[in-house]
Amino acid sequence: MNIEIKDLRFTYPTGLEAVSGISLTLEAGEQVAIVGQNGAGKTTLVRHFNGLLQPTSGSVKIGDWDTKKTSVAKLASRVGYVFQNPDEQLFSRDVLTEVTFGPRNLGYSKEKTDGLVERALALTELSDKTETNPYDLSPTWRKMVALASIIAMDTPIVIFDEPTTGQDAVNVARIANVIAELQKEGKTVITITHDIDFCAENFERVVALSKGQVLLDGPAREILGQEEILAQTYVEPPQLTRLGKRLRLKETVRNQEEFLNAIARRA
Amino acid sequence: MHERLSFHIKRDSFIHNLNPLTKLVLTLTLILIAFTFPWYWTPHLLVLVAIIPLSLLGKVFREFSVTALRLILPAAGFLFLMQAFFQPVGSDVIFKFYFLDVTQESLMFAFRNAMRVFVMVSAFTLFLVTTHPSELMSDLTRRGLPGQFSYVIISTLQILPQIIAKSQTIIAAQRSRGLDTESSFFKRAGSLIPLVGPLVFGSLMEVEERAIAIEARGFTSKQTKTSLHEIPDPSFDQMLRWVLVALIILSIALNLWLS
Amino acid sequence: MAFVNLQNVTYKYPLTKAPVLQNVNLQVDEGEFVSIVGPNGAGKSTLCYALAGFVPHFFKGEISGSIEVDGKESSKSTLDEWVLNVGLAFQNPFNQISGAKYTVFEEIAFGLENIGVPREEMKSRVEDAMALTGIRDLADRSPYSLSGGQQQRVALTSILVMRPKLLVLDEPTSQMDPIGTREVFGTIRKMAEEGMTVVLVEHKMEWIAKFADRVIALKDGSVLLEGKPNEVLTSDLLVENGFGISRYTSTAREAKKQGIWKKESLPVTLDEAAEGFTK
Repeated sequence: MNIEIKDLRFTYPTGLEAVSGISLTLEAGEQVAIVGQNGAGKTTLVRHFNGLLQPTSGSVKIGDWDTKKTSVAKLASRVGYVFQNPDEQLFSRDVLTEVTFGPRNLGYSKEKTDGLVERALALTELSDKTETNPYDLSPTWRKMVALASIIAMDTPIVIFDEPTTGQDAVNVARIANVIAELQKEGKTVITITHDIDFCAENFERVVALSKGQVLLDGPAREILGQEEILAQTYVEPPQLTRLGKRLRLKETVRNQEEFLNAIARRA
Repeated sequence: MHERLSFHIKRDSFIHNLNPLTKLVLTLTLILIAFTFPWYWTPHLLVLVAIIPLSLLGKVFREFSVTALRLILPAAGFLFLMQAFFQPVGSDVIFKFYFLDVTQESLMFAFRNAMRVFVMVSAFTLFLVTTHPSELMSDLTRRGLPGQFSYVIISTLQILPQIIAKSQTIIAAQRSRGLDTESSFFKRAGSLIPLVGPLVFGSLMEVEERAIAIEARGFTSKQTKTSLHEIPDPSFDQMLRWVLVALIILSIALNLWLS
Repeated sequence: MAFVNLQNVTYKYPLTKAPVLQNVNLQVDEGEFVSIVGPNGAGKSTLCYALAGFVPHFFKGEISGSIEVDGKESSKSTLDEWVLNVGLAFQNPFNQISGAKYTVFEEIAFGLENIGVPREEMKSRVEDAMALTGIRDLADRSPYSLSGGQQQRVALTSILVMRPKLLVLDEPTSQMDPIGTREVFGTIRKMAEEGMTVVLVEHKMEWIAKFADRVIALKDGSVLLEGKPNEVLTSDLLVENGFGISRYTSTAREAKKQGIWKKESLPVTLDEAAEGFTK
């Protein structure tokens, strides 16, 4: 299911124009990272994908649905959105109820819901915590509950807003694993992130925003090496990309594997 | 985004430069006289000789008249109708509306009460528009109001808009999970828990952290607090306050004497 | 005698089952810049609260062992006295805004008003602190109108202006971009060189390696390792215990196995990695 964004502009009631003419097509099954400084319009852009915000002008289509003509509740069956702060969405007395909330809202059968919930809990390594109150869990695990509660909705498109903020290395690895699994299932994953190393290691396509416009868009390998242009939106290339540049490697490298291969070829 | 909850409009005017306590006393004087001075046309006259001139003197006439016409006057008008219809005084029926009698007495009574409320709300509006809340609070704290008290007032004013913003995020998060907040009342009532739950839990955590943050900055220090801003209180202000207090006493005394 | 001295500190919050800190021993010299690393749940924030007096004075709970700063014992002091010597800034900047003030300038002055600093001195101290952290241009803005990174700078400035002898910082740059982080680390380093003792919880390894004097690795409420930044941050023990490490370190470790990395020690920073891979 494609996301078609055409000449999107959005102005907040305060008069601030947060998105100033963005056109993009995100293909089904793509893994896209959206990067850029605070205020570049990242969150404003993705909140159009499930209709939380309506374009001031231009249009956003999710498959054949125009977000202007579709309710948020209906769009929720196509677009799942994990908010940055899990505490802004968790309310149930146990993890199982929390994760069941979304699929139940979408009106799936009991059988289908149970299956989806079980799979989401397994994917987020929460299967042994189903009866725990989310507020008795550490913030790290609350984040996983928030992830599970969206994954269980089984939407073809999943959006993550800053999934790694405040997470330690172990949990970042868990989140990366969830994203990889979603990719295997053919889902579109769109992630807003400040964590450029996480971006380099888990995403094939990168869209860099600046001042409400697309600054760069393309395969991660091409985008992440463009140090000067990225600096315009206060993004530094990933650590290993910078190291590769410093060592004057011929190609842009993104992760450990690419770096070591390039070093081996050089030697 | 809501930045803060404050009606204050920054201007350089005679009223703005008065001591906050003087303005508070002036506001109370207007209200008390409107309600106690034993002459029928007092509140009406106050609007003409006090409220409007004060708004001009405070260089906020335009903003004030917009608020007065859009909010205060309709509210006073509503009160007028309610009292005119439902106040069972007098026998001189002017007209009937179904089973309701409207008498000349009830009209007069309602008119005065509506004007009293108009004076009260207008005076407070002028006060809020011309007084910065933190100036008022530091002035009152300097005069002996407990620091904790003024902290609660100001931080509530500031944090309310943040809570509104936060609840909007929560609504957005739950709508993204397919929660239908736009349909029937019945469905919406059921959707309250997912909205209120995170707000309450989140607020509890925030309150604890904020308590730590202000404690770390010496909030409960036993030292006598000082103030960044110097709030002038010239002898003119002090005199004016005594005059105003005298007017209040006079008005109340006349009221008691004549009743 | 160390400036900060924790002896066998064990602590349990009123509502938790297991102790969050277990037998922590920690010494920090005056003017030293110590960084604390560890996975989530290691007890980093609790340790910060203990240094800043909030454990146990604010949170209550059971504590044993002793916490001394500048020769004073925490258990024999009250919180309002303790915070005069020890400043604390933590991660969430939004909750650190007092809510009592309408401009950044007033916000920073808030602590000085509380401890009764005279007006003229207050103004100059606020000016100096804002210059130090580079937020002079925000002076007249509402603290609530700022971005997360700017709010973090305000929170840091609000504590620096109190001139504590010990500065305790719990992930103070989590919402800052790379340039902001670099500037703030520079400021903290400068404060340490002027004699302020700094304890900083952080997970940005590159910056710790560049700026800190010493690193303490905390795991499950106990000190796992301590020493020079490069020794601690490149230790195999960190990987085994689920610590986040710099990509330069992990890549060089793999390269070492393949015989591409020839040096004995592993890198933490870009410069060290570039140097090692060049040879």
